[in-house]
Amino acid sequence: MVDPITDTGVPEDVAAAELALGLLEGEERGAALRRVLAEPGFAAQVEWWRSRLAVLFDLWPERAAPPHLAARIEASLDGTPAAAPTSRFAWPVLAAVTSAIAASLLLFVMVRPEPTVPVSQPIPVARPTSVLVAMLGDAKSPVAAVYDPANGALRVAAGPGVPDARVAQLWVIGGDGVPHSLGLLSGRPTALAPKGVDRGRIAPGATLAISVEPLGGSPTGLPTGPVVATGVVARV
Amino acid sequence: MTIAHANADAARAHLSEVLLRTGQEDRDAFRELYTLTSAKLFGITHRICGNAQAAEDVLHEVYLTIWKRAGAWEPGRASPITWLATIARNRAIDWQRAQGVRRTSPLDDAPDVADPGEGAEAGMLASESSRELIECLDGLEPQQRDAIRTAFFDGITYAELAIKRAVPLGTMKSWVRRGLARLKDCLDG
Repeated sequence: MVDPITDTGVPEDVAAAELALGLLEGEERGAALRRVLAEPGFAAQVEWWRSRLAVLFDLWPERAAPPHLAARIEASLDGTPAAAPTSRFAWPVLAAVTSAIAASLLLFVMVRPEPTVPVSQPIPVARPTSVLVAMLGDAKSPVAAVYDPANGALRVAAGPGVPDARVAQLWVIGGDGVPHSLGLLSGRPTALAPKGVDRGRIAPGATLAISVEPLGGSPTGLPTGPVVATGVVARV
Repeated sequence: MTIAHANADAARAHLSEVLLRTGQEDRDAFRELYTLTSAKLFGITHRICGNAQAAEDVLHEVYLTIWKRAGAWEPGRASPITWLATIARNRAIDWQRAQGVRRTSPLDDAPDVADPGEGAEAGMLASESSRELIECLDGLEPQQRDAIRTAFFDGITYAELAIKRAVPLGTMKSWVRRGLARLKDCLDG
């Protein structure tokens, strides 16, 4: 796969190390992140470097944390539903990080080849009762997803094969450019019932993606493993 | 097996068990996990954030993340301290980059990470993969080694490294890329 942005003559393993170390920023980082999504081999190399470099943590000098912090953390465990940070900068940080991810993924979505659209497509007419479909992956072994906006049911064919102790996780990337989890897939057809806000994200033009994650799903709320299949949602 | 090895193995097994229990929402285990790991993780957030208040706030977020996500940790995949330290480093880098300020000057009171440390740390370093990486890093040209280590420990980018070492960006990229290629050869060899 030749990508004019990443085809800079940097060997693949060195490019993977640059991303794993956190050396890249801006468009270079965006290009590398798109490569992680598109190329499982590259994603595996990034993971290899992360685990090799992680031994440097052994050398990191310790520093006693402030004595009052333990109580502050413990107090915030109660009454903090998922992702309700208490620190005063948390939201700006989240917003900045999210928008950085959004920017890179939006670009990823924008540079993706157009889905096959029939040339003789009829003049679009609002057909709110029609279902939405996406074919994820390649033509040989696609994973079909069918979404019925009328009742909010998302039916997904048998997910891709995953290694032991891994699970396939389905994501939607809508207008905000950020992957949102729709749920975990299994080796058999799965029926998912996305939450209200995620229902709105499954719209024509949105991308569905399947990543391979640790059991229980991504620990970070964003895809962490290789993305094995993607497809664009279309109305039928 | 040396005593250092045995101690490190026992410490790691104990930390694994505490992290697994934290994943089952065991508050006592979470408190013990904090006691065992907060100095390591605060060392990480403090160095990368560059000030104590931000490091403390980031560390708070890190432990909330750990409390929520400990159930997803897989004993076979990453060592417990690596899993925890990675969360801390990533959070601290996210914070630092969200500030939009380039960190190019050394911290006033950041300890020197060139020193492999003593006691428990030296014991942990006895692991095979640690020794291998350190030996391979030692085989690089000094400026290659310095750039790679600084990127890891300070959490900074090519552009920041170039400013910090007062060399053109292209020069820094070429040092680091040659160093990473040699490091890969050494680790594969």
